[in-house]
Amino acid sequence: MIRRGAIMLGALWALTPAPMNAAYIEPPSLAAEVAAGRLPPIEQRLPQSPLKAMPEGKDMELGRHGGELRFLIGRPQDVRLMVVYSYARLVVYDTKFELRPDIVEAVESDGDRVFTFKLRRGHRWSDGQPFTSEDFRYYWHDVVLNKQLSPLGPPQVLMVDGKPPRVEFPDATTVRYSWSSPNPYFLPAVAGPSPLYIYRPAHYLRQFHAKYTDAETLAAEVKKAGVRNWQALHNRRDNQYRNDNPDLPTLDPWVVQTKPPSDRFVFVRNPYFHRVDPEGRQLPYIDRVAATVADGRLIPAKTGAGEADLQARGISFNNYTFLRQAAKRNDFTVRLWNTAKGSHIALFPNLNASDPTWRQLNRDPRFRRALSLAINRREINQVIYFGLALEAANTVLPQSPLYRNYYRLAAAQFDLRTANRLLDEIGVVKRDGRGVRLLPDGRPLEVIVETAGEDTEQTDVLELIHDSWLDAGVKLFSRPSQREVFRNRIFAGQTKMSVWSGLENGLPTAATPPDELAPTSQQQLQWPKWGQYIETRGGSGEAVDDPAAKELMRLNEDWRLSVSRSERERIWHRMLEIHAEQVFTIGLIAGVKQPVVVNSHLRNVPAEGVYNWDPGSFFGVYRPELFWFDESRRTAASAAQ
Amino acid sequence: MLSYLIRRVLIMIPTLLAISAIVFIIIQLPPGDYLTTLVAELQSQGEAASLEKINFLRQQYGLDRSPVEQYLFWIAGLLQGDLGYSFEFNLPVAQVIGDRLLLSFIVAFATVLFTYVVAFPIGIYSATRQYSWGDYSLTFIGFLGLATPSFLLALVLLYFANVAFGTSIGGLVDPQYIEQPMSWGKFWSVLEHLWIPVLVIGASGTAAMIRRLRANLLDELQKQYVVTARAKGLPPGRLLVKYPLRMAINPFIADIGSLLPSLISGAAIVSVVLSLPTNGPMLLSALRSQDMYLAGSFLMIEACLVVIGVFLSDLALAALDPRIRLHGEATK
Repeated sequence: MIRRGAIMLGALWALTPAPMNAAYIEPPSLAAEVAAGRLPPIEQRLPQSPLKAMPEGKDMELGRHGGELRFLIGRPQDVRLMVVYSYARLVVYDTKFELRPDIVEAVESDGDRVFTFKLRRGHRWSDGQPFTSEDFRYYWHDVVLNKQLSPLGPPQVLMVDGKPPRVEFPDATTVRYSWSSPNPYFLPAVAGPSPLYIYRPAHYLRQFHAKYTDAETLAAEVKKAGVRNWQALHNRRDNQYRNDNPDLPTLDPWVVQTKPPSDRFVFVRNPYFHRVDPEGRQLPYIDRVAATVADGRLIPAKTGAGEADLQARGISFNNYTFLRQAAKRNDFTVRLWNTAKGSHIALFPNLNASDPTWRQLNRDPRFRRALSLAINRREINQVIYFGLALEAANTVLPQSPLYRNYYRLAAAQFDLRTANRLLDEIGVVKRDGRGVRLLPDGRPLEVIVETAGEDTEQTDVLELIHDSWLDAGVKLFSRPSQREVFRNRIFAGQTKMSVWSGLENGLPTAATPPDELAPTSQQQLQWPKWGQYIETRGGSGEAVDDPAAKELMRLNEDWRLSVSRSERERIWHRMLEIHAEQVFTIGLIAGVKQPVVVNSHLRNVPAEGVYNWDPGSFFGVYRPELFWFDESRRTAASAAQ
Repeated sequence: MLSYLIRRVLIMIPTLLAISAIVFIIIQLPPGDYLTTLVAELQSQGEAASLEKINFLRQQYGLDRSPVEQYLFWIAGLLQGDLGYSFEFNLPVAQVIGDRLLLSFIVAFATVLFTYVVAFPIGIYSATRQYSWGDYSLTFIGFLGLATPSFLLALVLLYFANVAFGTSIGGLVDPQYIEQPMSWGKFWSVLEHLWIPVLVIGASGTAAMIRRLRANLLDELQKQYVVTARAKGLPPGRLLVKYPLRMAINPFIADIGSLLPSLISGAAIVSVVLSLPTNGPMLLSALRSQDMYLAGSFLMIEACLVVIGVFLSDLALAALDPRIRLHGEATK
């Protein structure tokens, strides 16, 4: 973690401010612009102390400028993936998932209460305007505190005990956020794949703000854009994450050039990007990136045809064999990266089901444990995943420092005898002619598992579970639905059990917030109403009344207030232990690999990696601005042909 | 005739109003709105959206108003030529649709041309040489075209074209030509890609057209006037074109009514499979994500085109076929 007054030196990344007199190397694609005087020379474009970055992993090497990287997206809106991949944030995770400064030169934190960001002197937006604390001030005073632009006040993550932070801007390169009580969620939010942007390109956005532009000009703009009012116009133009406004200045390595709607989006290098390689070459190496829109079902086929240089999105494990076959023909390699979800597929008994009998049953830990024990995970792994996945409960993965065998296996062994004994204990002893147990009210114990209906893989897995559950006297039906209906039925308690993927982050450290393990959001399918209650601060939903869930909530709060690593580690372990004992969610299989297709000439993409959303930003932590095309080898190869 | 025309035009107005109400109701029928779609989608990518934020957006999008208000708001806009606003694309609907119109038109036009060029000669041949070897084999091929699921045919052809000719999979041009101005290279690339959708979409239509033309022509060929003309010594080719074919062509004209809307969103499923940059896939995704103004305006444009198309084909039929014209006069 980032500690007071110290910038950690990474094991994988050497981050040293480059000396002022270093000779920087101009990207050849910009040389003509510079020579023509349309662009200042590189020394004037870089900050005084650019971030010197070098990948130090195996097979990593210094690159050359040039080339175009192609990838496929399923919908035009996925143009925002580029923001995820680019991964320029105030602070970022490195490949070990530790936080490091990126856009800022340094960040000091005092017990997670006071955060001071030091900006790089001379840092500029992609349009050449200076990036200073004024951009942070604009965000705080003119966006967040403006009642019309933000009627709800600051984002939730900036509120601690219901109070906003004190935000100060001592000079042009210093920004300070301070709370009276710790806010450990702040930096992870800033470093997220869809980050909390606490700065805005003020010089650009002022023209859409009522405070800075006279009503008449603004009214004309509003009319031209066809929106309701200036707030809507401001929000439209100001969407750094959606990435749909080519005019919006950015700090990312590549800048979108195509105005939507389109079926192909082109990104060109940001001439003011703040990273250089050890030899002084301004990053990114690759000049242009092109994202082509293709129907989701065509993405594997198109990738197999060699139409993407770097592709993981839209490709799943069952495309692996097809891609391997096509790899020889079309000159790419297929790598298998790890995924970081706690469970690839998990069952979620709804503890807030509205049917009283079922609610009582789902809330009985013995029932949940019995169902979990009656699943033959080995069979699922062999039949569907060629035995390459991990049979596991929905908990942290073995690669996490918090992992213990107990968490993974306590309720994930195949043990029909114990399962039957537990079910007998609960009092569902009587069986009907089919051997299906009968509920106290006489109904058969038929579990309807609802799916979002998008994936036949889930239905296949449920089919396998069906057989072993029947041996425990439980009949399983799967009911495909449609995603929105699926969620709304769960939120309303109409669904008794559902299937979805497990924990988002299966690779936490003690410093990772454990909020996924406690009731915190309506989107947690095992206790949607409790989550809603917390989210709306008691406005709607139901108060948590299960002792174990209550303890999880208390532990989550303790974690926030604690500062020492050992204390946090203890809290994490206690929470994982509760989950292993209580089996709130029934994890089936984890560690399903993600195929990553990489053009054979694309260098610096690691052979093994973790493909994850948060933390990870998919390719983001592996720094795509360091990827480069080895043109010499490519020409040699085509000459040989 | 004039009063008939005026009546037909006037009756379009209540028809379109009724369609607009039905379209709006159907779009509103599934539970939830665009924002529930948005949340579900964000969730699946691991992003979270807080309840507060969603309510704020709902207000911004005007989804907090009652359905009746939303409908009136939309209809008032339509009457002024404002198609509304697409939530998903964050752009006015006119811009979203307009961009793809040209390509939709090219695909539809090429398909229609293909259908006619193939169906006409084959239909005539099959009818004049009924139960011949040629008739049977062409009919067989036609039925194959009708029976093969078009999406399957599309996938097979895509793979084949890629492996054999190196054509990029899906879309209408190679990726490097997208968003580029028209050039010979781009034109060639379009031709390279165009034959698959044209063949796939055209296949089933062609078969149906052959059968209809054949049946109609067979009916006419038996009639006495044909026998008379033949007895009078009219050359067979001239005879065929001048009398029975003119009668048998009616279904082609009546088809114009359904052709117009297909210019906008024809063959949505095939277009989705082939990932064509036409309007069909967009309509489908708009309906799925409940992007209601985009979907609604789309359907309204289609409804207008159907109504106009039917009107035009009625006019053409009346002009071409005296029997229809006279009948129309008589009932009045």
